[in-house]
Amino acid sequence: MRLVRKVLRVVMVCTLPAGISSCSNQSEVALDTPAFTVPKNFPAPVYALDRNRITAAGVELGRMLFFDARLSRDKSISCAECHSQPYAFTHHGHDVSHGIDNRVGTRNSLPIQNLAWSNSFFWDGGVLDLDLVPVAPIENPLEMDETLYNVLEKLRKDSTYPKKFKAAFGTEEVTTARFLQALSQYMLTLVSANSRYDKYVRNEGVTLTADELAGKQLFVQKGCANCHAGELFTDNKFRNNGLSLAFGTDLGRGRITEAPQDNYTFKVPSLRNVGVSFPYMHDGRFRTLEAVLDHYAEGVTETPNLDPLLKQNGRLGIPMTAGEKAQIIAFLKTLTDEEFLKNPQFIQK
Amino acid sequence: MLQSTDGHASSHFVTSAGKRSAISMKSILSFVVAAVLAFTIFSCSKTEVDSIDPNGTGGLTLEFDNYVGGTNMALGTAQYKNTAGESFTVTTFNYFVSNIELTKEDGTVVKVPNSYYLVREADPKSLNVALTGIPQANYAKVAFTIGVDSLKSQAPVTERTGALDTGSYGTDNMYWSWNSGYIFMKLEGISPASTISGKAFQYHIGGYGGGFQGAARTANNLRKITLSLGSTSAKVRAATTPTVHLIVDAAKALGGTNTISFATTPTVHSPALAKPIVDNYVNMFVVDHVHND
Repeated sequence: MRLVRKVLRVVMVCTLPAGISSCSNQSEVALDTPAFTVPKNFPAPVYALDRNRITAAGVELGRMLFFDARLSRDKSISCAECHSQPYAFTHHGHDVSHGIDNRVGTRNSLPIQNLAWSNSFFWDGGVLDLDLVPVAPIENPLEMDETLYNVLEKLRKDSTYPKKFKAAFGTEEVTTARFLQALSQYMLTLVSANSRYDKYVRNEGVTLTADELAGKQLFVQKGCANCHAGELFTDNKFRNNGLSLAFGTDLGRGRITEAPQDNYTFKVPSLRNVGVSFPYMHDGRFRTLEAVLDHYAEGVTETPNLDPLLKQNGRLGIPMTAGEKAQIIAFLKTLTDEEFLKNPQFIQK
Repeated sequence: MLQSTDGHASSHFVTSAGKRSAISMKSILSFVVAAVLAFTIFSCSKTEVDSIDPNGTGGLTLEFDNYVGGTNMALGTAQYKNTAGESFTVTTFNYFVSNIELTKEDGTVVKVPNSYYLVREADPKSLNVALTGIPQANYAKVAFTIGVDSLKSQAPVTERTGALDTGSYGTDNMYWSWNSGYIFMKLEGISPASTISGKAFQYHIGGYGGGFQGAARTANNLRKITLSLGSTSAKVRAATTPTVHLIVDAAKALGGTNTISFATTPTVHSPALAKPIVDNYVNMFVVDHVHND
């Protein structure tokens, strides 16, 4: 029965248009691993899954690469260094992330979660395709300070990797595309959708406390959900949320487009696992959620391109009482997904 | 019918014949015979081009010969001067040539599919772009894009092979990882006028006009270059693979429309800042001559 199912899947994959050309290679790959599924309360993914079919072998290779310090120039740091699972794959406790030779980066590392639903990457959206994301930290002199060319050469000379590439892609050839697609396959499996909030909205027998429910309502009433929208808790847009320029003048999206109207705008981050992904903002200036809500209540500064939602009727920020802030924070903590933060599948054994 | 295949021989022939226009038919005939004989004897190139097979294809080579002003480019050592009067040496000169189009004498345009080439002065092989599968015809014009078009700049990683493989560049990188896109043209060197460490200058030109969610797009520095092949068309035949010899003057990237000074602008690493250089470098390609052999 198991064999029949496997054969059926091979046939199904081979009849898909995208699968035709690579059919002979891919048929050897283990197929019966539901490594990626779309949670019931999520919209359709934006990542082109048909172009990079997720397989157990591909995910395994991607995970190996994610945890491999050989991706850096001196073999000192891996992706996992700044993207640590217990903190929703962020650099725990660091305002801005630290790279090679203890060089200090310019921004706080973003969580790696639910990337299949993201159409832009990094705080400034400089990369629009998940497959191209790893090139940036590998080649950034403050992060891994290596060339993609050298990384591939190291993998080609390794005794294990070519076999892993064969298992994932049919031959031992180590190519740029395969390297990047394997990393994407692993990262795509990092889906966080089992928080108490998720189980509550999916009616899976979880109830929220009165404060959490009040916070959920306030989250909408106060307008938080205008930007932290939908089940991903982001509208994927770039906005200036009124951070003072006292901590530096990072142009954000403006650095990419070189358009004045984009200066000081940054990607609206998802709030999933926000309870464990501190510190907050692109430069990690706030250590606590209380500090974040204090900013929205009293700290919004009128810098160029301030989002109009943060200046309504001539008043800067969002009026909130201490009690309201506490309830909103209680709600935000329901977005912490313990299963995701502790899933042993995500770690290199 | 005898066809001249050498640009120089051909133009002498026409000029000489013109001077004798008032002379008798006999004289003209004897001149023609003499000229043809001389041509046949002295021409080092093939004198006959086979006929066009309307269904046949052939090859055509674009030869990119890099110069700085009137002097051949030699990386590292040769001293040059820009229009701002600053002396410099060149350490790197690379550019992408893509979307090549050839225009027949009758005006028909032949697009060379999937044509993406990286020309690097440091890699002699890359200076000759050999096109194959070109329909046999006489071609009067060549056109190409400097850089990588927006479609390919956003293509899946599996379609980024050959010159577009982001993992193929090593330390001579032609791809911006932080602002996804190819570096269309890279000119680097050393100048005593530079104000940055190592007296270096670095001009990395990119920007395909990428946009996102209706917001501002990055600067679009894609430029199409169209060049006439002049008096000698490129005659693609089964047994004739013409070479279009282009002179590429890197000095034109630094002067002409906008004077680029190493003192005031030692580095360019983003699309909008690159525009003054782009407005210059559209004029750096000239067709010098065509060999039909």
